[in-house]
Amino acid sequence: MDRYGNDGRANARSRGLTRRDLVSRSLAAAAGLTLGAGRTRAARAAAPTINVGVLLPLSGANAQFGINARNGIELVADRINAAGGIGALGGATINLVVADATSNPATAATVAQRLITRNNVVAVLGAFASSLTLAVSEVTERRRIPLLTMSFSDQITGRGFKYVFQVVSKASVIGKAQFEYTLGIAKAAGETLDRVAIMYEDTAYGTSQATGLRAAAKEAGVEVVMDEAYPLGITDVTPLIGKLRASGARAVFPVSYLNDSILIIRTMRQQRVDIPAIGGAAGYVIPDFHRALGEYAEGVLSVNTSNYDLAPEETQPFRERYGYFMVHEAIEHAATMHLLARALETAKSDRPDAVREALAAGRVCDGIVKALPGGCVAFDQTGLNTETYPIMVQWRGAELVTVYPETVARAKPIWRS
Amino acid sequence: MKRWRRCLPAVVLVGLAAAAPLVLDPLGYPMRVLTLVFLFAAMGQAWNLLGGLANQVSLGHAAFFGIGAYTSTILLRDHGVTPWIGMLVGGAIAVVAAVALSIPTFRLRGHYFALATLAFGEVLRVVANSWTEVTGGPVGISVPFLGDDLAMFQFTSSVPYYYIMLAALVGVSVVFWRIKAGRLGYRLRALKENPEAAEVIGVDTYRAKLAAMLVSAFITALLGTLYAQLNYFFDPDTIFGLATVSVRMALVAIVGGLGSVWGPIAGAAFLIPVEEFANAFLTNQAAGVSQLFYSLLLIAVILLEPRGLVALGERARRLARREGRP
Amino acid sequence: MDLLQAVVNGVLIGGVYAVTSIGLTLVFGVMEIVNFAHAAFLMLGMYIAYHAWALFGIDPLLGSLIALVVVFALGAVLQRTLITPILKAPQVSQIFLTVGLLLALENAALIAFGSEFRSVQTPYQTSALRIGGIFVSVPYLAAFLMSVASGAALSLFLRRTAVGQAMRATAQNPTAARLVGIDVTRMYWIAFGLGTGLTAFGGAVILPYMTVFPTVGGQFVVLMFTVVVLGGLGSISGAMVGGVVVGIIQSVSALLFPIHLQNLVLFLVFIAVLAVKPTGLLGAGR
Repeated sequence: MDRYGNDGRANARSRGLTRRDLVSRSLAAAAGLTLGAGRTRAARAAAPTINVGVLLPLSGANAQFGINARNGIELVADRINAAGGIGALGGATINLVVADATSNPATAATVAQRLITRNNVVAVLGAFASSLTLAVSEVTERRRIPLLTMSFSDQITGRGFKYVFQVVSKASVIGKAQFEYTLGIAKAAGETLDRVAIMYEDTAYGTSQATGLRAAAKEAGVEVVMDEAYPLGITDVTPLIGKLRASGARAVFPVSYLNDSILIIRTMRQQRVDIPAIGGAAGYVIPDFHRALGEYAEGVLSVNTSNYDLAPEETQPFRERYGYFMVHEAIEHAATMHLLARALETAKSDRPDAVREALAAGRVCDGIVKALPGGCVAFDQTGLNTETYPIMVQWRGAELVTVYPETVARAKPIWRS
Repeated sequence: MKRWRRCLPAVVLVGLAAAAPLVLDPLGYPMRVLTLVFLFAAMGQAWNLLGGLANQVSLGHAAFFGIGAYTSTILLRDHGVTPWIGMLVGGAIAVVAAVALSIPTFRLRGHYFALATLAFGEVLRVVANSWTEVTGGPVGISVPFLGDDLAMFQFTSSVPYYYIMLAALVGVSVVFWRIKAGRLGYRLRALKENPEAAEVIGVDTYRAKLAAMLVSAFITALLGTLYAQLNYFFDPDTIFGLATVSVRMALVAIVGGLGSVWGPIAGAAFLIPVEEFANAFLTNQAAGVSQLFYSLLLIAVILLEPRGLVALGERARRLARREGRP
Repeated sequence: MDLLQAVVNGVLIGGVYAVTSIGLTLVFGVMEIVNFAHAAFLMLGMYIAYHAWALFGIDPLLGSLIALVVVFALGAVLQRTLITPILKAPQVSQIFLTVGLLLALENAALIAFGSEFRSVQTPYQTSALRIGGIFVSVPYLAAFLMSVASGAALSLFLRRTAVGQAMRATAQNPTAARLVGIDVTRMYWIAFGLGTGLTAFGGAVILPYMTVFPTVGGQFVVLMFTVVVLGGLGSISGAMVGGVVVGIIQSVSALLFPIHLQNLVLFLVFIAVLAVKPTGLLGAGR
């Protein structure tokens, strides 16, 4: 514990006195602990590095997504460092401080606290799962440290926080797009959807996206003949598919992680339920989906928040380095790193407050950001990226191809029935 | 005089803990870790009342913890009731739940009781996930942020939380100590050593165990509110979680040493920093390394001394004394 | 018709629940330890079968035998190194040793096998038989038949072989068993190896329709406990019946209630059974 304490104080000092509030300063002074400030500041000038907190689930059920996201961030950070670091800060290099958010929000919050005080990070990137991000944001907001995320729960930008920045659309918007895009694709294929089914896992992600789906169906006057939540970690989806078959739906919107999505598709095929399934990202847009289902993955549609084929030149290095295509969570986390680097350049400072201002005021349209639909990031007052929108992707062989909306489509959608 | 001497280490420790914020960064990480140590020690102590004194191993205390957190937060969110009052309401509901749970399960012993309580915690987790209108469902629930307000149990600084958790730990420990030294503790001990014999000498085993259960549930619910106020956000899978709450509470008490007032304190003071240390220094390794380290350490402690750290310490002291004598 | 379909389906998945839970009940029956790490051995079995498929093209239904053998050996070693020292320890220490083991195995798997979701492709992955109006999923049917066969084999082993009879004697009364010259220590590690090995076997046979990842066991933990409690802790025939009953409850309750309350129904049955007859509704108890 002593070591923690001492390290923490030494680090806090390295950024000068601006970060420490009055109480802390007076207390520390009262305790006579004001030694060593000059030495650490001098040491820092010799080796300029900027600590960036990367807080992701690296163990537990979401580990794979956390690792993908970390890979994306690493890719961009390495590229920045190889190109000479942050020019406006004397070529300072980016030092990623990676930490495991586990799957427990309380732990994630504690780890965020550690990144801020011990590692003195300029910003925190991550936490992938909405529940983790929500917990972390309660810490970063109070400590006035920017948090850049791709978690899409509506709550994240819905609390009036000033230090949270979300690069993709909100869950309700994604759910709405999942529905409306499908309607558009079906219509173009000469098919009318009058009855649809929604099935989703009872998690933050599943329920918030289902809310958007439901609202969009109501708005379009389409009857939702089945609307079922199922428990996360379901081991048998046969009853679910039985209900689907009985409902007479013409299309189904499953919102699920990988295990359930594979179970759902396989069981649908077994029971000869031939209606199209339009996935809700997550399990439907990772390489493992195709690896598990092979030919049965062909033509499966899914909504998504970004795709690698929107900017092949930016995402190809990822495939070369890690051996699989750049999945959306990798793209989006890479984008947060890119945005942060840009903000450091324009702010010409590594003070979190200045970085926040630069993030809030800036508009970035280059690098990996090009793989986000809309191709740009600019934040509104709540910290939501206003320039992006969801897309529809479709499996073609082992690749995911953007097929809707037309403005960004790389191929025409195929509607199978 | 003797009694004063026995209390001395506790008084010194509390004094040291109370002085710590003077030298630590008030918003810093060590403060946060210490705050968590106090909270988990208090939780372990509450569990210890039932698991250590009455020898009823519960794996479902998350049920009471979650009831406390949700009750106070919902009352605050929907009716503006201060958590100071909300936590008492939560405690009352937890007591009702404990009575409801004990009717079908209390004649169970050992593994059967553990499994029944485990299922009870899971039932509440499913309910909190499904009853979206009230709990907010799987998305979780945020404690409305109202700024600095003692009356509403909200602080921007982490110093008040530190002292609140410290006070909670001291309070629960005193309750534990009083019960252990009192008539109830005597009955529970009799019951633990030989339930049949206890019945014969006229101990109402059911009532004794129920009393321990109710006190434990009530305190656990209060701590649930403290947790909610400290973290501002929680979701059903965490607050009613088997691994996140139920098992950790028990683990703190068991690793420290069951049935001893120092057990949960030692357990939390060991486990929480170790967990943090593993997370801080091993996550740059491959994913999973830090958790693996933590779990292997856990196994090692239990293999080394199944009765926990306090027993281990006593063994070491005895050993040292024997070697000191020529 | 719906009901019939649900029952058929419940029986099929229940057979698998049974074989994965037998090990838990066997270990409890013989050495009175509730092994919370049990579900992690299911995960190991799935990984072994997956790698047998990915590297050598062995179908998981055959790979299940490899899983059985490998995990039997691992289980036996773990029993001798970790479980033996705590056989006489307080029950709480036993619980938490196995909880620690669960965490260790899950994270070791994460390090060894990575976090990817692994799944096999089989020629029958989307096949189903149609009998009358009833669908019978081929992967489910195959897993069910394998489970029944292994359950029957275990039952024969326990009844007909000298080792099996000695094991049953140990379960009934270790002291008496020792007096008549049974090597109780040996019985313990054989039982633990068999218990974990069978669970791994169960994991392998469900691989044609389930995906494996390091924490997959978590989905089965509560199911397993429900099965053994329903059947009576320690009773093997009880676990077999319990598995099928749990499968049917899960399947039929989905017809009556929203599917996300599936587990709620199961837990309430679980508590009710404990309250009414803690030694299990189905088995004779011990």
